[in-house]
Amino acid sequence: MLIKKQREEKQLEASVDLLISRVAHLKNALHNFIYKLENEFERLAWPSVLDNFALVSGQLNTINKLLRNEKTPSFRNQVIIPLELSPDRDDELAKLTEQRVPVFSHEIVPDHLRTKPDPEVEEMEKQLSAEAARLGPEAAQKQIQTLNKLCSNLLEKLNNPREDRDPESSAIRQSKPSFNPADTLALVGAVAFGKGLSKCRPPGPGAPGQGPMMGGGPTLQQVTIGGASGQPGIVVLFFSLLTGKMPSSIKTNIKSASGSMHPYNR
Amino acid sequence: MEAPPVSVMPVTGGSINMMEYLLQGSVLDQALESLLHRLRGLCDNMEPETFTDHELVYLLKGQQGNPFILRARHSLSHPAAPWHLRYLGQPEVGDKSRHALVRNCLDVSASHSLPDVLNEMGFRMDHEFVANGHVFRRGALKVVVSKLSRVLVPGNTENTERLSLSYLVELSVLAPAGQDTVSEDMRSFAEQLKPLVHLEKIDPSKQRH
Repeated sequence: MLIKKQREEKQLEASVDLLISRVAHLKNALHNFIYKLENEFERLAWPSVLDNFALVSGQLNTINKLLRNEKTPSFRNQVIIPLELSPDRDDELAKLTEQRVPVFSHEIVPDHLRTKPDPEVEEMEKQLSAEAARLGPEAAQKQIQTLNKLCSNLLEKLNNPREDRDPESSAIRQSKPSFNPADTLALVGAVAFGKGLSKCRPPGPGAPGQGPMMGGGPTLQQVTIGGASGQPGIVVLFFSLLTGKMPSSIKTNIKSASGSMHPYNR
Repeated sequence: MEAPPVSVMPVTGGSINMMEYLLQGSVLDQALESLLHRLRGLCDNMEPETFTDHELVYLLKGQQGNPFILRARHSLSHPAAPWHLRYLGQPEVGDKSRHALVRNCLDVSASHSLPDVLNEMGFRMDHEFVANGHVFRRGALKVVVSKLSRVLVPGNTENTERLSLSYLVELSVLAPAGQDTVSEDMRSFAEQLKPLVHLEKIDPSKQRH
């Protein structure tokens, strides 16, 4: 029995120590954050503010976990009794509390060792429980149902935020596609090869200087031109002016052209 | 002796050997407003820019090989603005590590006599279309949302018929060759437009037939 009690005491001490160190960490983080907010707010970037928030919330989480841990004895069952009250200044206490509580007197002890809510809060609670007692069970049931309904509606809205707030984009996403792959291919074919473009043109317009047009079908590979054999030479010149190099498919033409006739002697 | 007018000036600039990195997609007409709204939010804060352009694609075919293609474009909303001549190289789509289609790209501004010059050189117009829409920029990224229309009577840009019920969406960057990091930026930007638009690297040669 005695051993068990000793073990419990040890456990309590250990967990209190742990809690103190965690709270000290949290206090440090808060302290740093407040310092930054007050002194470096001009240089403080939003991401670093968020980082600080994350740090604090993480530490709060750790403390919560610690308190909920099975191995942590329930602090609620522990009783703290003030053994000595004195109106004199206690330097040791002031040092422990970082000058926040210099005196352990009758005046402040009820506040610091308080386990009940504040008197005003107690008053409000009393009012509320009186009101609850007045209410009949049926009316209460009804109110519970209404509240449940409201909550579930709200939850639903929160869970599907985009569809409600952004009806236009959700309509597009759900009902109709915004593009047609066949159209893409047709348009790409049109800009690349004039696919589907030249078909509707009446064949053989009589404009001077215009060569024979193909009346339909794929055109790029079938077009014949009525130019003299010397003309590719000019084109090569033109092309090489543009690119600074000769295309291999036309190079062969130069040979044949220069072999037979000079392009400029026409 | 007077110096000849220097019509080839743009070539001497640093624009040589630039690559265009491209992602393409489309958006249905009814979702256009949502896309524009999102682009206004994502892109640089600037006045919304709209355009109406007429593009003529010219071909020149030698005795063998692929035809040589040049694209001439001019603005219908600003008739006094210079023409724009563009050469696009063969697209490279095979590289899986690259998130965008890459092709050689050359842009030159030109005078209004460009169509005549091209015709004299032996180029023949293959097809033409009218594109109107919106341009957005974010840093080096350029987003063009445009509606394509057929030209019903050649040369008459008043008489057009729209090509489809969708707008073409193109995300492009011009960068010197080898700067593949830009394709990463493009991909992350494209991610932000999902699910409204899926921008992909589309091999145009598969759409040829």
